[in-house]
Amino acid sequence: MVLLVTSDNEQFTTEREIVERSVLIKNMLEDVGETDQPIPLPNVSSSVLKKVLEYCEHHRGEPLPSADSDQSQDETRKRSTDISEWDQKFINVDQEMLFEIILAANYLDIKSLLDVGCKTVANMIKGKTPEEIRKLFNIVNDFTPEEEAQIKKENEWAEDR
Amino acid sequence: MSSNAAPAMPPASADLATTWAFLEEGVDHIMTKLQTGVSYSKYMSLYTVAYNYCTSSKMSGASSDHPGGLSNRSAGANLMGSDLYNNLIRYFVSHLKTLREASDALQDEELLRYYAREWDRYTTGANYINRLFTYLNRHWVKRERDEGRKGVYPVYTLALVQWKTNFFMHVQQKNTKLAGAILRLIEQQRNGETIDQGLVKKVVDSFVSLGLDDTDINKACLDVYKEHFEVPFIDATEKYYKQESESFLAESSVSDYLKKAEERLREEEDRVERYLHTQTRKPLISKCEHVLIREHSELMWESFQSLLDYDKDEDLQRMYALLSRIPEGLEPLRKKFEEHVKKAGLSAVTKLIGEGAENVDSLDPKAYVDALLEIHQKNSETVTRSFRGEAGFVASLDKACREFVNRNAATGTSTSKSPELLAKHADMLLRKNNKMAEEGDLEGALNRVMILFKYIEDKDVFQTFYTTKLSKRLIHGVSASDESEASMISKLKEACGFEYTNKLQRMFTDMSLSKDLTDSFKERMQQNHDDMDINFSIMVLGTNFWPLTAPNNEFIIPTEIQPTYERFQKYYQTKHSGRKLTWLWNYSKNELRTNYLNQKYILMTSSYQMAILLQYNNNDTLSLSELVAATSINKEHLTQILALLVKAKILINEETDQYDLNPNFKSKKIRVNLNLPIKAEVKAETTDVLKTVDEDRKYVIQATIVRIMKARKTMKNQALIQEVISQISQRFAPKIPDIKKAIDTLLEKEYIERVEGTRDTFAYVA
Repeated sequence: MVLLVTSDNEQFTTEREIVERSVLIKNMLEDVGETDQPIPLPNVSSSVLKKVLEYCEHHRGEPLPSADSDQSQDETRKRSTDISEWDQKFINVDQEMLFEIILAANYLDIKSLLDVGCKTVANMIKGKTPEEIRKLFNIVNDFTPEEEAQIKKENEWAEDR
Repeated sequence: MSSNAAPAMPPASADLATTWAFLEEGVDHIMTKLQTGVSYSKYMSLYTVAYNYCTSSKMSGASSDHPGGLSNRSAGANLMGSDLYNNLIRYFVSHLKTLREASDALQDEELLRYYAREWDRYTTGANYINRLFTYLNRHWVKRERDEGRKGVYPVYTLALVQWKTNFFMHVQQKNTKLAGAILRLIEQQRNGETIDQGLVKKVVDSFVSLGLDDTDINKACLDVYKEHFEVPFIDATEKYYKQESESFLAESSVSDYLKKAEERLREEEDRVERYLHTQTRKPLISKCEHVLIREHSELMWESFQSLLDYDKDEDLQRMYALLSRIPEGLEPLRKKFEEHVKKAGLSAVTKLIGEGAENVDSLDPKAYVDALLEIHQKNSETVTRSFRGEAGFVASLDKACREFVNRNAATGTSTSKSPELLAKHADMLLRKNNKMAEEGDLEGALNRVMILFKYIEDKDVFQTFYTTKLSKRLIHGVSASDESEASMISKLKEACGFEYTNKLQRMFTDMSLSKDLTDSFKERMQQNHDDMDINFSIMVLGTNFWPLTAPNNEFIIPTEIQPTYERFQKYYQTKHSGRKLTWLWNYSKNELRTNYLNQKYILMTSSYQMAILLQYNNNDTLSLSELVAATSINKEHLTQILALLVKAKILINEETDQYDLNPNFKSKKIRVNLNLPIKAEVKAETTDVLKTVDEDRKYVIQATIVRIMKARKTMKNQALIQEVISQISQRFAPKIPDIKKAIDTLLEKEYIERVEGTRDTFAYVA
């Protein structure tokens, strides 16, 4: 069993197999060896870790992407925006939690979860105008009109998609 | 872990100086004091600090390079990391400087031990660091590399690159101190000393790890290994073995050298297995083969003959195995071996017939065949045992055997002698009273006949002799067994095809048909006549399949057998009307019972003897002219037959040309065989056979030419002759004058014609 401590000092006990979905923790357990020390996770809060562990538990035992997964495999993974049914339900959270999960997946190095999060954001953006997107994510437009015109011009190729 | 008085983890917003100070302490701990352990919290805090720094959005480093604005933004998000990366480089450089300084005083094995120990520690630490800086690798390094920047590597690779430039190259620059130390250890091992192979392996492996392919860092690259180790290693190997092999050969025999070289090659193969990169096998082994084998191949070729002469099997095996490793190594051996076998074959025959070739005519076929076979078998075993049955040596053996089987002291210039002797030998094997006709033995002996048969050039001569001999065996009923006959025929068929044995098979068919015919004739006669006092059996043989000639003399059929003769003639004509029966009296034989003596004897005779003796049923004394008149046999032949009967004491010849029946004839045996061959007939037989062969060959050559011309329509003289030779050589070796003669005959008969305006081109006449 592995003991995890969150940034808000809450303790989680879980199985090594589950927590090893995180490449960070997997590597550390390999390098340092298993002890009964708690593992501090200074960048993850308890509410987010709960969600992350739920994901890890569901996906336990699935093969991890190899460290040097080849380029083509990487490309197909990026292209597809398909998300499995369970993952869709799982990621159906408020925007703040969504971004927290993405950050945690990035930090803990859980590639598949990072993908689910990013694809969800991508699906939210899809088909929207810049104005709508700004509104959706509460972004202030800090471009000058000249800058905006130039960016539009540079990204013309992306129109009509 | 409380002893780890670690500084507190800096906050996510800390600046570079604070961040690096924290990280550097951790990195140094891992690189130099890993054995004291790392706690989870230390590991996590180092990872987190590096992560936080890379994900922070402060623009301190970047914005000073690109002061704000459009250009910076359009290049995409600015990734933090170059400062950490550069600090890591600085750390490695100074870390390695200490290592290098400590190595300056070390030499040879001590240096290698130091190097190996530090390599282990350094690479283990670098693996840790690499993982702690995963985020730097995943983001900043990846982006830099994706954008095509050279010289930026994931942290572990970076550590190796730094090791190479700041430690490895530094040591190597001093007279290739590192590689030199390895080479000296290997030399010690070659000299028979024990060395620490694990140490060599570790250092050599590090050379492999240090190779880096800049375009794909995951790809193995051997440039460092090759340049700094393999090339000098191969050079040292060449020098070592050149020196060793020369001084060894100066003092020892070639046999000993073969052993030595074999051992050395095996050792070097092992060396690759034990501590070198597998890619070194090829250059190393081919260098060793060059120095140890090719450089001394002349010497090996020269001593080959004496190894053969003294049957040094093991040495031959070794020499073969060594020389087979270089492409040009075996050919001279194959040539010498061929010559050796040929000589052995020729001298065996010369020995057999005596120096002056005095025994050629009385040569015993079995002794001849055995002598040839012995040479073949001995050398065939050598090929299998010492040359692993290699095809080239098999070909040499075949070539040599073909040569001495067809041309030796016994054959002289005659190409028909060997096939004749072989056919006679086969005949003796297949005869009833053959001593070695134990079944298994006979089959083996026939197989041995086939071994030589394969080498016989004039297979048609063998065929003709064999056919003649077979016909005798069948007619006289002296064949050992039908099974063995069939087995031999199927062997010949396998070797030469259906056509070659067609006649032989037909002869067997005739034999069994004749048996049936005799039976049915007898049955019929029993129904129709009751005066069949004569036991009669008949063979009706196809003219085309049997090498038999009808008698050219007149013959009056004795009245005693006249009725049987007529009845069979009639019976056969009704059964097969239109067939012509020719009675071959000269091949027939008879058994006569004597009634004029106290003891009853059975005389076994030829038909001519029978005809003569039957005359004495009515007379006790007859003159030569009376006998001529009674039998119609010509005088000369009759005299010879009578001489035999006189010799057997059946007749008495006291007065010239007068023959009396001997009333006091006595014999130890009840069955008296009078049917002995007349000398002149034996001699005539061989000549006849050869005449037949010559005759056949003419037709074979003509038929072949017609077949070729029909297919090709026109052909030049030279090409035609070549084609004929190649098509016929399976059966015999045609002589060019014979082919030319055949062409002339065909021109005359207008099967072919000369193409107008040319001197040497023929065309087929349809």
